[in-house]
Amino acid sequence: MAQSATLVERRGWHKHVLLSPPLLFFAGFTLFPLGYTIYVSLSNWSITGAHSFVGLDNYVRILGSNTFRQSYLNTIVFAVVTVLLQYLLGLAMAVLVYRSTFGQSVLRLLFLVPMMFTPVVVGFVWKTMFDPSYGPISFFMDRLGLPAVPWFSEKLPAMTTIVIADVWQWTPFMFLILFAALRSLPTAPLEAAMVDGASGWRLFFDHLWPMLLPASVTAILLRSIEAFKLFDVVYLTTGGGPGVQTATVTLSAYFTGIRSGDLGTAAAMTVVLLVTVLISTTILLRILAWASARRSRRDLGEAA
Amino acid sequence: MRTGGWTRRVILFCWALFALGPVYWTLITAFKRQVDIYDGPRFIPFVDFKPTLQAWRTLFGDGGGGFLHMFWNSVMFATASSALSVLLGGFAAYGLARYRYSYGPMRNDDLSFLIVSQRIMPPIVSVLALYLIFINLRLLDNAAGMILAYTAMNLPLAVYLLRSFFEAIPVELEQAAALDGYPPWQRLARVVFPLAAPGLAAAFLLSFFFAWNDFLFSLILSFNKAQTLPLYITYLNTQSQPLWWQISAVGLVALIPPAIVTVVLDRFMARQVLIGGIR
Repeated sequence: MAQSATLVERRGWHKHVLLSPPLLFFAGFTLFPLGYTIYVSLSNWSITGAHSFVGLDNYVRILGSNTFRQSYLNTIVFAVVTVLLQYLLGLAMAVLVYRSTFGQSVLRLLFLVPMMFTPVVVGFVWKTMFDPSYGPISFFMDRLGLPAVPWFSEKLPAMTTIVIADVWQWTPFMFLILFAALRSLPTAPLEAAMVDGASGWRLFFDHLWPMLLPASVTAILLRSIEAFKLFDVVYLTTGGGPGVQTATVTLSAYFTGIRSGDLGTAAAMTVVLLVTVLISTTILLRILAWASARRSRRDLGEAA
Repeated sequence: MRTGGWTRRVILFCWALFALGPVYWTLITAFKRQVDIYDGPRFIPFVDFKPTLQAWRTLFGDGGGGFLHMFWNSVMFATASSALSVLLGGFAAYGLARYRYSYGPMRNDDLSFLIVSQRIMPPIVSVLALYLIFINLRLLDNAAGMILAYTAMNLPLAVYLLRSFFEAIPVELEQAAALDGYPPWQRLARVVFPLAAPGLAAAFLLSFFFAWNDFLFSLILSFNKAQTLPLYITYLNTQSQPLWWQISAVGLVALIPPAIVTVVLDRFMARQVLIGGIR
């Protein structure tokens, strides 16, 4: 770095040209829209363009509204449940495939297939899978003598279908990261532990999992950021229904802002969502820093 | 660690069933006639039902509505925005890898984080404002507007990914090129970018993946001529009797580019991208 800096330091304006496009995009597509959204959220902005300043009225109203609280709670529940399930399943599959002596690459590619589906298609596929009249899941449950479940007309089943669709699509992502992390691990500590007589679960919890901690937190961080944006699958499967019982914040903001034309209220919803995401991300980043530091203390030299 | 082989196999088999079952379902649905769907589920082609190309004929024939148009839009927007992201992101990543910046209190790492941190913000926050901004700039339902929006979406990722690739290229190679009399821009074009080709390809493919899969931007920022493939699916879906066979066929078509992306990425770079890129 120091060397390269001296190579070109004299003609300093080049470097500003290099970096300016992303910074301009940052200003134009993130910073300015964010400021604009905050400004809109403080007004009764309608999609027709008419607006006047109303202060914090929108925030007071949505925080008191059951509809918004419902979608806010749903967003949190979806994020926590799906990311947790994806992590546990992804970890389990990564370890199992890692331990397979043959067919690793075939299994890996097969497991990645759900990730290749466009989210909108994922929503549609699971909608047909769970269809009460013509779908295979109801068909098999009926054959097994299980009672019919109203998959899309009651809250809990509807939430379950969304969780399953999301877990189906994104567990492969967790799997991919954790599997790559597993393969990059040094085998020496594991072999030493095996020689010492450790086996099975002990080996996993005492040796493997601690080494996977930084990759785990990274994967969870990346998935959590995405999970708070959940929209496509819900839009396609339940459309937020029954009523608004499975809506997420993004869905509510879309319906309120674009469909009903109440941009002020919608903007306030998105600002509340952003604050939530920022808090969660900050916490996870702290944990990531802690996990990485712990890892490098554990095996000095290797982590570098 | 080789004990419990059968448990392991059974679990892996169950997972494969869960992962691939819906894929199989989509595949066969795309070759069904209406009656094979609304007569209870049928599973085995040629035994349960007679496969037909009806859905595909409709799609690529006259009855496809806007299919070909929206498909083309998806391809064009994803390609153009990914190319732009890789080009602009490549320059910026090169800058971050080779020069020292200090903008106020911000150093290279801070700038890098600032750029990538945009991805944390849920897109709905900016897209509502972008809707209003695009109306004023006449970019709503406009190809240029969509490409710019997707570029903005993917640029942070490209910068972040490519920085580590450029840092891995020995600076001596550039110094040698400089001694040979190459001006800076040619050093970049002839030496640095070719050496970072795997990284550029990875960034392009990932950008393509995200732009191709986007639904929210398209839903809010386009309403007619700049609509993309996911919107076509929602149109087929919202009718009183959803056209399952046709949506499945579209789903399979939409699967092709991301499948290529995944296989290629898996082949030659999954490790670098996902583990090396995240530091």
